[in-house]
Amino acid sequence: MTEDRFEDLMRDAAQTYRKPPEPDFEAMWNVVSRETWGVTRPTRRSFNVPRGIGIAATLLLGIGIGRATVTFKAASPTTVPVATTPVAAHTDSIPEPAPYSAETSQYLGQTAALLIALPSEVKAGRANGQFLSRAGELLTRTRLLLDSPAANDPTMRNLLEDLELVLAQVVHLENNQNRTELDLINRALEQRDVIPRLRTAAADISAN
Amino acid sequence: MANTVVAFQSAYRVSEPDLIARVLAGDRVAARDLYDAHSPRVYRLAFRLTGDADLAREFTQDTFVRAFGQLSRFRGDSALSTWLHRITVTVVANAMRKVKRFRERETDLEDVHPLGSDSMGVDPVLRERLHRAIDQLPEIYRTTVIMHDIEGYTHTEIAEVLGVAEGTCKSRLSQARAQLRVALADLAPELES
Repeated sequence: MTEDRFEDLMRDAAQTYRKPPEPDFEAMWNVVSRETWGVTRPTRRSFNVPRGIGIAATLLLGIGIGRATVTFKAASPTTVPVATTPVAAHTDSIPEPAPYSAETSQYLGQTAALLIALPSEVKAGRANGQFLSRAGELLTRTRLLLDSPAANDPTMRNLLEDLELVLAQVVHLENNQNRTELDLINRALEQRDVIPRLRTAAADISAN
Repeated sequence: MANTVVAFQSAYRVSEPDLIARVLAGDRVAARDLYDAHSPRVYRLAFRLTGDADLAREFTQDTFVRAFGQLSRFRGDSALSTWLHRITVTVVANAMRKVKRFRERETDLEDVHPLGSDSMGVDPVLRERLHRAIDQLPEIYRTTVIMHDIEGYTHTEIAEVLGVAEGTCKSRLSQARAQLRVALADLAPELES
């Protein structure tokens, strides 16, 4: 056997020996996440929203949330209404209970407001204890909603899980945080399309 | 291996030590970033070592579960990738001792079409014989061949991952290749053609 021929065979083996198939890395991550932290992380989107679209979506979200909040305040009493009619028969699509819709709508608006304000608050040095405390409250509400019927809808659940991650990062911001901290949060927001999804979710709830 | 780290750092402008610190502080986005950066190569190594997609997936998961669980012990003496691949090799080796089917590939030579060569110019029979010969190497030799000749690790990297001297790594590769030649000796005339 010549050395060259053997080398050819080995080079061929590098291409053919147990050639790995493409695995589902997302599903593998979910297992890793569950076994490490006891939770399943949502799918990370592979595309990024162009900055211009992100800004436009943010503006639309702000307007939409503002209008939805005004409508919500005008239409809703301050206490949670008690159902006076029997619950509808079970259908294929289980409607989200009204109290959770109200809570979710309010929560989405407040979370959007905080996340939109985050960059300017940080830049102005106003991401202080009060601001971070507010983020902490929203993080607590996120987790409560994750355990509520509001999270029965997979889309909403994914959004809530992403918001949990982002808010957890915001809570860990310190008053003297550097630019990298904010960049990481912005990147998480962008990669997970959080703001556009918040807008969609808020619009969906307002429409119902 | 270093290329992975460089590409990762330049893409995200966040150093790996920073990401590790964040993971240790409970930042799961940072954990996901580390996973994204390293899981393809960990999976590929696991698959090459096992030849079984399900097991490779399982061992990749095990690698990262262990890595995140033991990250506080990572001292940074070597690259994180080296540390991860060391865990991978350990996980696979431990499991392989229990699961013998990795080594028992059932492909019969008679099932391989003996005529002609493929586009790479290698006869399918020769190829299959070499694959089987690699499968049948002792574990330490097989791991070295797979990492060096199949996956392209340098001797320095392999030595770090396996925790042996670089000279030992070179010696193992040389002996492994000698065994492969012996295993293919009966096909020598065809190899000469």
